[in-house]
Amino acid sequence: MEGASYQRFPKVKIRELKDDYAKFELRETDASVANALRRVMIAEVPTIAIDLVEIEVNSSVLNDEFIAHRLGLIPLTSERAMSMRFSRDCDACDGDGQCEFCSVEFHLRAKCINDQTLDVTSKDLYSSDHTVVPVDFSDTGSGFDNPEDQRGITIVKLRKGQELRLRAIARKGIGKDHAKWSPAATVTFMYEPEIHINEEMMETLSLEEKTSVVDSSPTKVFGINPHTQQVEVVDPEAYTYDDEVLKKVEAMNKPGLVEIYAKEDSFIFTVESTGAVKASQLVLNAIEVLKQKLDAVRLSEDTVEADDQFGELGAHMRGG
Amino acid sequence: MLDASQGMREVDKQSLAAPVKSAVDKFQLLPEFLKVRGLVKQHLDSFNYFVETEIRKIVRANDLVKSKNYDKVYLRYKDVWIGTPSVVHDGVTDQLTPQRCRLGEMTYSAPIFVNIEYCNGTHGLNANPQVKKNVIIGRMPVMLRSKLCVLYGKDEDELAKLGECPLDPGGYFVVKGNEKVILIQEQLSKNRIIIDTDKKGCVQASVMSSTSMTKSKTIIKMEKEKIYLILNSFTSKVPIMAVMKAMGMESDQEVVQMLGRDPQYAALLLPSIEDCATLGIYTQEQAVEFLEKKHKKNKWGKDEGALGVLRDIFIAMIQVRDNNFHLKCAYVVVMLRRMMDAILNKDAMDDKDYIGNKRLELSGQLISLLFEDLFKTMNSNIVWHIDKLLAKNSRSSKFDISQHLVKDDITIGLERSLSTGNWNVKRFKMDRKGITQIVSRLSFIAAFGAMTKISPQFEKSRKVSGPRALQPSQWGMLCPCDTPEGESCGLVKNLALMTHVTTDEEEGPIISLCTYLGVEDLSLLSGEELHSPTSYLIMLNGIILGKHRRPQLFANGMRKLRRAGKIADFVSVYVNEKQRCVYIASDGGRVCRPLVIADNGVSRIKHHHMKELKDGVRNFDSFLREGLIEYLDVNEENNALIALYEGEATSETTHIEIEPFTILGVCAGLIPFPHHNQSPRNTYQCAMGKQAMGNIAYNQLCRMDTLIYLLVYPQRPLLTTRTIELVGYDKLGAGQNATVAVMSYSGYDIEDAIVMNKSSLDRGFGRCIVMKRSAAVYQKYQNTSDQFSTPSRAPYDREKNQLLDNDGLASPGEIIRHHDIYFQKDCPTNANASFNSHPSNIGYKTIRQTYKGAEGGETAVVDRVALCTDKRGNLSVKFMIRQTRRPELGDKFSSRHGQKGVCGTIVPQEDFPFSERGICPDLIMNPHGFPSRMTVGKMIELLGSKAGVSCGKFHYGSAFGEPSGHAHKVEDISETLVKHGFCYNGKDFLYSGITGMPLQAYIFMGPIYYQKLKHMVMDKMHARGMGPRQLITRQPTEGRSKNGGLRVGEMERDCLIAYGASNLIYERLMISSDPFEVQVCRKCGLLGYENHKTKTKVCPTCKNGDKISSMKLPYACKLLFQEIQSMNIVPKLTLDES
Repeated sequence: MEGASYQRFPKVKIRELKDDYAKFELRETDASVANALRRVMIAEVPTIAIDLVEIEVNSSVLNDEFIAHRLGLIPLTSERAMSMRFSRDCDACDGDGQCEFCSVEFHLRAKCINDQTLDVTSKDLYSSDHTVVPVDFSDTGSGFDNPEDQRGITIVKLRKGQELRLRAIARKGIGKDHAKWSPAATVTFMYEPEIHINEEMMETLSLEEKTSVVDSSPTKVFGINPHTQQVEVVDPEAYTYDDEVLKKVEAMNKPGLVEIYAKEDSFIFTVESTGAVKASQLVLNAIEVLKQKLDAVRLSEDTVEADDQFGELGAHMRGG
Repeated sequence: MLDASQGMREVDKQSLAAPVKSAVDKFQLLPEFLKVRGLVKQHLDSFNYFVETEIRKIVRANDLVKSKNYDKVYLRYKDVWIGTPSVVHDGVTDQLTPQRCRLGEMTYSAPIFVNIEYCNGTHGLNANPQVKKNVIIGRMPVMLRSKLCVLYGKDEDELAKLGECPLDPGGYFVVKGNEKVILIQEQLSKNRIIIDTDKKGCVQASVMSSTSMTKSKTIIKMEKEKIYLILNSFTSKVPIMAVMKAMGMESDQEVVQMLGRDPQYAALLLPSIEDCATLGIYTQEQAVEFLEKKHKKNKWGKDEGALGVLRDIFIAMIQVRDNNFHLKCAYVVVMLRRMMDAILNKDAMDDKDYIGNKRLELSGQLISLLFEDLFKTMNSNIVWHIDKLLAKNSRSSKFDISQHLVKDDITIGLERSLSTGNWNVKRFKMDRKGITQIVSRLSFIAAFGAMTKISPQFEKSRKVSGPRALQPSQWGMLCPCDTPEGESCGLVKNLALMTHVTTDEEEGPIISLCTYLGVEDLSLLSGEELHSPTSYLIMLNGIILGKHRRPQLFANGMRKLRRAGKIADFVSVYVNEKQRCVYIASDGGRVCRPLVIADNGVSRIKHHHMKELKDGVRNFDSFLREGLIEYLDVNEENNALIALYEGEATSETTHIEIEPFTILGVCAGLIPFPHHNQSPRNTYQCAMGKQAMGNIAYNQLCRMDTLIYLLVYPQRPLLTTRTIELVGYDKLGAGQNATVAVMSYSGYDIEDAIVMNKSSLDRGFGRCIVMKRSAAVYQKYQNTSDQFSTPSRAPYDREKNQLLDNDGLASPGEIIRHHDIYFQKDCPTNANASFNSHPSNIGYKTIRQTYKGAEGGETAVVDRVALCTDKRGNLSVKFMIRQTRRPELGDKFSSRHGQKGVCGTIVPQEDFPFSERGICPDLIMNPHGFPSRMTVGKMIELLGSKAGVSCGKFHYGSAFGEPSGHAHKVEDISETLVKHGFCYNGKDFLYSGITGMPLQAYIFMGPIYYQKLKHMVMDKMHARGMGPRQLITRQPTEGRSKNGGLRVGEMERDCLIAYGASNLIYERLMISSDPFEVQVCRKCGLLGYENHKTKTKVCPTCKNGDKISSMKLPYACKLLFQEIQSMNIVPKLTLDES
């Protein structure tokens, strides 16, 4: 084994980058790395989420656990999460996890006093730390065009006379423990397809046959160039590996007309964030966590005791 | 103008182009039907009929209460009616609402008022009749949503104010706080001739006669060629000719003539005639004399001899006037003829399981039986009472008969029967159990299920297949799917969606109408004409009216009158060509359903009718009134040719179905694409839908049921059916749309287990709330009562009392764990403290109640604390204790296709397969669930839901709905899928979440509506080491609730014996069970004892302790020896050295 190096130098090319959405290519690596990245993004990038709720008054229709569960699922801006401490190994507080290093306190006071139902939303949550607040979707411009809908995430609706008063403590955590700490809404990748059209053979087809080939794919992978009347690959990434085109080609008795391979070393990632962390940051954090994990593995090979030096990380490893 | 004329022309064109027609979508009729009739209308109609009509009839029939000895003393009921639901508290009448009754353990009942006229005779001051109005004679439990109920005709807002759920169907009673429904009872129809065979294979004709006065069963049986009458009032069977002669038909010729000219019939009767002659019966006197000998003497009541029996009990519904038995003779002859037909031709045998021969007894009828009995009992009690009183020579107070109306008998009687379900009416020889049932509020659908359930007439133990089989005549009336599995399979049935059950209708007008339409009265006919081949018999409710020469014309005439609204909608006219009879039925309990009338195969409902319906100008009743729709009962359906769709109608078609999916009931209506499933799967789902958790009602959080299961995030199914929308399941769903991947994963999914996504569970999938009620009572004693107790806040007690408020009750919102105290009260140490002891002298002791939950399991919370007065006037406290549970390993889930499975493992999301769109399933189902179950409907549901989520529209899957557009076709669904970039077959290309490599196969993935069933591991798991033992045997207790042991049963023991693991048996059956040290006398072999004081061992039989050995024995064994000894048997132990 000595000397044999499997080291590769993966390349990343960013295709599209928005606050809560990222699309990038990952090349020159294999599925294990891509999947490790995906798994870390889902389960191990830390964020902050409400973990403990003390309810003072709750006369709403939803019961305490119900509201606590809903509060937990509200994404909080967690740029700070990477540098925060897990409350379980925070030494500033005596293990109750309520100090400023490992927790953020929220307050919610709502009472409906008029006849209209009052929507208590994530905007009614007041944070003790201005860097950790419920995610605001109004500026992303996606989905909510109506200003009425920009009230944030509904927690509960109150009718006249009902009241909700509570104190909530948000803590750092990872998606592995509970999905509320997962910063990823969607993380997925696909193999980049490589589509070859046998132009010569394609030329032998009539326009009708061409369109039938094009239409056989449920997604819009192929198109016909209006000028040259040639079948072209419009969007190879739209291909869902459904084999429909290949089946069609087979049925037309033209094997080899279209050939599709998956490039085994390049992946197209789609990352959607819950808003807790920016999508770009999510990827970077994931790489960071992955690196720490790999470090831990390398170190633990040398000395077992070294495991303890990496406090947080060691816990990471043990917890995982 | 122009438009109008054009419209007219269009309509004309339509009718001109008769057979070729565009199908009118008649679905809209269904919501209208349900708006008018409701889903439990049969119960409401029946109860309303009782309250409005039947109760009057009963009171009128028994309106006079008269002293036996004093002629002038009487009481007469003038009128009767029922008021509004109310309760009397300390003399103040208070209006009741159902919700108040549920919470306060009260009975939702209304006073029964009567107006009376009475005379106290010479004993009172006034000898003239006196009148008293608005006298209460009792309280009638009121059916919810009936005309008496405060909820009647209320809209959604008003219902909400009364604390009632607008989707609740009503049709049940609230008795002592419990919701009770009277199950529909299935019975053989009364007053109809049924031809069948007895156990020996003899052909018999039987009639269950039922009139307001008597109920009897008459059987005419052919045994060894001779025909006999079997009647309970006769000690043995009686030759039928003797009966005929006793009824005045002395001449055999006459009987034969009535039977008909055909010599076959005469030949069959001949042995009976000869038999009669050998008995020497020729005249009426001889016959009566003969019958008198057979007559069972009636011990009580008046006895009018054999002739009286023939007059009043024998086929009692045919009334005899002026001792003219002609009608009765004719009826007997008709019975004979039918029986002989069956002998000559086996096809003429009646089918007892045929729905047309059955009647459904509903709550109104059952309550009326009970009321009649109680009312009569009350009246006879009054008579007995006043007679006793009047017989006394000196009375201290003024006599007043009106004071003797006791209202408790009726109230208590009705209440008791409703709450126990025992209908014990001696007067009508009725002793039935299990008539009522608690409305199951496990899920919204379960409540509906209880309301449409029909309980069988036979006992469940009978091992016969006939009554259990699916009857073709059930079509459209009873649900073919909804029946339980197991012992009552096929016996317990459920009503279909559109079924209506009739109530009684007046016969008088129908009889006079029949005469107008040319029915020749039976009494005017000669014997010969009775079975003349040129005419048909006309029967009304089992009674012969007469004959008609042109039966078809007559039947059509009757039907026209019915369609015109001249006679009631539910009167059925049925021409039976085989029996040459026209049957008219107006009795209650027949099942019927609405159908669209067609003339020569052309539906009477045209497009403009449906448009008017949509515009709200029309309703279901106007369709009925204008003769576009009519109700047909099972018998009349035999005269109809019903087309499923308009397009399939031919010129002979008389009716067209409204919608084919209405053949299913409420429970089966929830299944999408049931017509693609293997039939038993639908039956399984019908049973499981009732166990699914979800929302119960809009007022679910205000209810105080003993056990409530709720889903935290219930959803509306993506793949709905029309029935779902009609019953409101879309508003009160019981399940969630889970994205299901059909693939094998991890091996923890064998045997129908499912693999669940941990993140989905984190986000609330399958999360449920369980609320349990526990109660405590502050008991009242003679002079004292239980007191509120203030918990001690001393440092030592503080922790254990931390839940309690200062009144000794746990406060809402407190977290409660196993063994926590949630209630404490002060109980007097001496409950029977005398009146003169001073309050300060009464000692109290504190009594506590602790919560029994899962040890170390999830915590519970006190949800609500309610205080109310219970039945006995004690203050009672109810605690609702709530627990929120997330799905765990072993919890049971099911789709809507009878495919249940437990959660096999919970896997984190990152290990779950994902598609390149980022879709990750919520649960994984093993594909082996499909081939043997053949639930194709589930696959189509997946496809349809997938198309539904991608295009943003709910898809439909009503039963048999494809032709009429109430179910999407797979082809269209696939098209939608392709349009949104999915593969047409619903399969996706997935990557493994563990390796990141593509999976080797395309995975069938999409949303399926999954139900969480009430069976949860937390309520079932159980283990014990040491624990409680039974008192007498000293063996471990049994059952989870008593923390019992797990039994090594005899079969397990057999295995161990066979294997030879004797030490294991010894350990299981003795050491770990009930070891006991005994002293055995080696001499006599009996048990001795050890004297603890002297430490000596004694054998009481031998009177010494010489040869005593001590050994171990199971305590139960020692007990057995002693019990055997007590029966004078000596069990001896012979010991051996070991």
